[in-house]
Amino acid sequence: MSLFSIDVGSQLVDLGSALLLLTCFAIVAQRRLSACVDLFVLQSVFLALTASLVAFLTGIHHIYVAAALTIVVKAVIIPRILKQVIEHVNVKRELEMNVNVPTGLLICGALVILAFFITQPIIPLGFLLTRDSLAIALAIVLIGFFMMIARKKAVTQVIGFLVMENGLFLGATAAAYGMPLIVELGVFFDLLVGTLIIGIYSHRLQDAFDSVDTSKLTTLKE
Amino acid sequence: MMLQAITLVVAQAIVLLAISPFLVGLIRKVKARFQCRRGAGVFQPYADLAKLFRKQPVISTTTSWIFTATPYILFASTLSAGLLVPTFISQTPMNFAGNIIALVYLLALGTFFLILAGLDAGSAFGGMGSSREAIVASLTEPAMILSIFAIALTAGSTNLSTIVHKTALMEGIVTDPSPHLMALAALCIVALAETGRVPVDNPATHLELTMIHEAMVLEYSGRYLALVEWAAGLKLAVFLTLIANVFAPWGIATTLTPAAMGIGLVTYILKIAGLAMLIGTLECMFAKLRLFRVTDLLGVAFILALLGLVFFYILRG
Amino acid sequence: MTVLLVGLLAIYMAGIILPPCFPGRPRIQNLVAHGLATGAGLVGIVLGLAGLLVPEPWTVSAESTIPFLSFAIRLDPLASFFVLTISLVGLAASIFALGYVTEFYGRSSIAAMGSLFNGFLLSMTLVVMADNGFLFLIVWELMALLSYFLVVTEHEKAEVRYAGLFYLIMAHVGTAFIVLTFLIFFQEAGSFSFEAFRHPEQPLPEGMRTLAFLMALVGFGAKAGIVPLHVWLPYAHPAAPSHISALMSGVMIKTAIYALLRVYFDFLGGQFPWWWGFVVLLVGTTSALLGVMYALMENDLKRLLAFSSVENVGIILLGIGAGMIFQSYGLKEFAALGLLAGLYHTINHAMFKGLLFMGAGSLLYAAHTRNMEEYGGLLRRMPWTGLFFLVGAVSISALPLANGFVSEWLVFQTLFLSLKLPALFLKLMLPIAAALLALTGVLALVCFAKAFGMSFLALPRSSHARHAKEVPIAMRIGMGFLAVWCVGLGLAPMIVVPLLNRITGPLTGVSISDKVLALDGWALAPVNVQFSSISPPMLAAMLIACGLLGLFLAFMFGGRLVTRSHKTWGCGINLSSRTEYTATGFVQPIKRVFSTIYQPTVKLETEFLEESRYFAKRRRFEFHIEPVFQKYLYDPLVDFFVGMADRLRILQAGSLHLYLAYIFVTLVVLLLFAV
Repeated sequence: MSLFSIDVGSQLVDLGSALLLLTCFAIVAQRRLSACVDLFVLQSVFLALTASLVAFLTGIHHIYVAAALTIVVKAVIIPRILKQVIEHVNVKRELEMNVNVPTGLLICGALVILAFFITQPIIPLGFLLTRDSLAIALAIVLIGFFMMIARKKAVTQVIGFLVMENGLFLGATAAAYGMPLIVELGVFFDLLVGTLIIGIYSHRLQDAFDSVDTSKLTTLKE
Repeated sequence: MMLQAITLVVAQAIVLLAISPFLVGLIRKVKARFQCRRGAGVFQPYADLAKLFRKQPVISTTTSWIFTATPYILFASTLSAGLLVPTFISQTPMNFAGNIIALVYLLALGTFFLILAGLDAGSAFGGMGSSREAIVASLTEPAMILSIFAIALTAGSTNLSTIVHKTALMEGIVTDPSPHLMALAALCIVALAETGRVPVDNPATHLELTMIHEAMVLEYSGRYLALVEWAAGLKLAVFLTLIANVFAPWGIATTLTPAAMGIGLVTYILKIAGLAMLIGTLECMFAKLRLFRVTDLLGVAFILALLGLVFFYILRG
Repeated sequence: MTVLLVGLLAIYMAGIILPPCFPGRPRIQNLVAHGLATGAGLVGIVLGLAGLLVPEPWTVSAESTIPFLSFAIRLDPLASFFVLTISLVGLAASIFALGYVTEFYGRSSIAAMGSLFNGFLLSMTLVVMADNGFLFLIVWELMALLSYFLVVTEHEKAEVRYAGLFYLIMAHVGTAFIVLTFLIFFQEAGSFSFEAFRHPEQPLPEGMRTLAFLMALVGFGAKAGIVPLHVWLPYAHPAAPSHISALMSGVMIKTAIYALLRVYFDFLGGQFPWWWGFVVLLVGTTSALLGVMYALMENDLKRLLAFSSVENVGIILLGIGAGMIFQSYGLKEFAALGLLAGLYHTINHAMFKGLLFMGAGSLLYAAHTRNMEEYGGLLRRMPWTGLFFLVGAVSISALPLANGFVSEWLVFQTLFLSLKLPALFLKLMLPIAAALLALTGVLALVCFAKAFGMSFLALPRSSHARHAKEVPIAMRIGMGFLAVWCVGLGLAPMIVVPLLNRITGPLTGVSISDKVLALDGWALAPVNVQFSSISPPMLAAMLIACGLLGLFLAFMFGGRLVTRSHKTWGCGINLSSRTEYTATGFVQPIKRVFSTIYQPTVKLETEFLEESRYFAKRRRFEFHIEPVFQKYLYDPLVDFFVGMADRLRILQAGSLHLYLAYIFVTLVVLLLFAV
């Protein structure tokens, strides 16, 4: 606490959140599936760093635990599962999208501005050093959501979902210095199970349609 | 006063002219090293230029005066643009002559004539190069203006010398790193696109499928080619200087004492040599993008610059 | 002043009356008509300058017997500036026409053309001088009608008649809205005099003001060619003879800018909510971007120029819109800067667009086609035309040392000053507009690189181009005159800015010329020299010095090496025009990247040899750009009206008795109402 003044600390937190947002855009601009997973790992690492920074600045120790869990679950285990899925189902390296990359980027830019406008009335009410990150967190959630809509493959939808979760985690840290530890543990467990289920579901999809393109699901209705 | 100003301008011109072939040589050397070759010496481009100047030029019979005038116009506009950017002293005498928008448009003047020269020879190569240069330039410009604006906001000025001088003296310095970071990232992508480096263009290629800049200047030879090559080197130097001094003006001479200027010169050379080596490394790490994938990259640059702006207003608002 | 004004009117009237007095002698008709117009142009320039320089607005009026109409003329700085602009382009166009109309000898009536030409110039001059709503509407209509007749000069061609009809309809839709605008003002002022509009007895209610704003934007916007009301421009401007196109694109659409400024800043007193400015800004950005995008895809040189006019009107409106936003927040100095930038671009655009249309006219004169794919290699055959066209192209691309650069730079600075605005939304939107302006600027650069490169460089693409010759001296003088102005306005902003300041001063209430000009006028610096500045003379000096350095280096190292000439290596085959890049091919990447906007449809038909499927006998390539506005906006509207008309046809039974019955019923109903 003595090392950094609050001001510098809050700027560093802002910087961390900005880096998170940057990786979001990198994922949107990326056309290769495995690179998307790598970028997600990078994002999770940034998230863990930002969270530990908050923990260090505020002295709230359970955030450290959450940060460590982030590394373990999101930067190691989940990417492993995803890579296995990619290998097994032999997904084409190029992504297929409903919205092309430049348009997607522009939409995401608009989402960020939207997020800032929505949070603008709330931000000045906060007193925490992380208050500015709330807007970025909301932006990341929105972009994650957009990714789930815009990409066709099941695996990329998982990534969109995970990005959303990263945004939520950042939001929780920003708005309330993290959730109670038990809630966070629950969330991580959910994530893990969710990813596993989608992984298995991708396998089934592959078996049924020879593709993991979820838009093929429309052929199920009769 | 007048005399001092002229001396400083001339000194800056000499520094830029002298260092630009070195940067090109350095990038080539780094690339060669990564490819496990020894490569030519870093001073090879100087010898190339000297030789080209002494060679007899061949001019196509189909061309008009545009073709012969272009190398001079290109050289003049690029060097003039260079004079607007502070190199080793933070307060260039040319500060008032043009701000960063003038710099963008000076470079555009060169691009315009180069596009014309590419068309002038009448071969398909030149036209192809011009056409591709046109699309790359059109996508780069908006990102460039927006990133410039984000930088100008944090420094409270659009005049390059003022930005650099203030930042160097920590006056009005960026109180928030995030917008600056975004603008830096955007400007780096823009610089790669504008100077025709991988992943947008490959200066080492002579394959019609991949050439952009090289295709436009394919018909040049002798002293015309020398000027065009030198101008390309200058443009690289201008962008590297811009990035180095706007974002990291450390060591730049803020006063006109000989000691400060000496330190400024040495740190300046070190900084841009470092950046050049970084470019060389990047060129070995990435492949050239397909022309129609360049839009993705420049789209990222545009969004980054926009975010820089948003961050500035919201986080500090 | 009186002498000048009377002189101006007299010369134009002479120009209208005299040419038909020499029937069957086109040479003399030509000399008389355009000679007189040249003289009137000179007088107009002096009048405009005088109007700009005198301290008080100069007025004169004559009452008429018609109620509400008085022949009131008022020369304030704003009007004088437009008189000056009109006269400058008019002068150049008249000189140009001396040579250009020789093309029409024996085909069209030179007397009619000459009279109409003078009448058109006179009506435009009167539009900006009129100080009475009624008079304004009359001369405005006159301007539209005369230009319509000029557009259909070559009425034997079907597409020209179509263009004329389209133009006439759009012009009248616009006029309808203008009439409504004036009626709103009339309601409060009780008179059609502009003086009464300016100081109404009671201020207009808020809703009425907003209505007036929107009506004026639509009415004058239709003339200015803002998107989506621009559709007539690419039809009408190319169909007219080139010196008329130069006037229509260069100055006629500017009268709408004049009228907008008059209504917003003069009649409405510069008091408005911020969203007015934002609407203008939005319209400006859209027009600029879409205008240049459609221009890029054109291969018809004059259509390309017409679309580019849409773009430039957009840039002007960007400056004015930004100015309006600042005005509504009370930042008057910035508002004045925005207006100044817009006005600067107005005169600049008049100069280079006039020049480019004359250049296109010269090409048409020499090569007898407007299709760029049939030009090529003309710089060697027409060196002067080529040089002047290049000057115009450099100016319109906003490249340094020409006038476009200075005004676009000022627009950029105005948009950058948005950091001083209190509203976050605008703080973000203005820089985005600046980024889109940058995109517009660079697309304009590409567009004119294409126009110049395809027309003037490399090998001739058709026998027309191969046999082209330099145009007559009069045409070259006309173009040269404007080319000199293009460069002059770019190098001497220190003279232009104080003059423009005399206009923006009264409109916004502050004088900014000593703030904008720094360092004894050597630099332009909107806020201060530390914030942003350019110095065109210094840039010129730098460029020349650096260019000389290049020459010096070449001669120092290379000595007196003689260059060798050889034909371009064509990969083993002889180079012909078929190996060159085509205009269509040149912009293909852009078409592909922005396909969302263009909605192109491409058709490739290949006919193979009978012997083998590997050899093509003939290939046919076709591509179209979806005219989005026409398809989704105008066609449904037209269909609606045609449908309505069909229903109403029941009334038109063709029986005389029925018509008499209509009149009778109307009469009775009216009488009933009167009771």
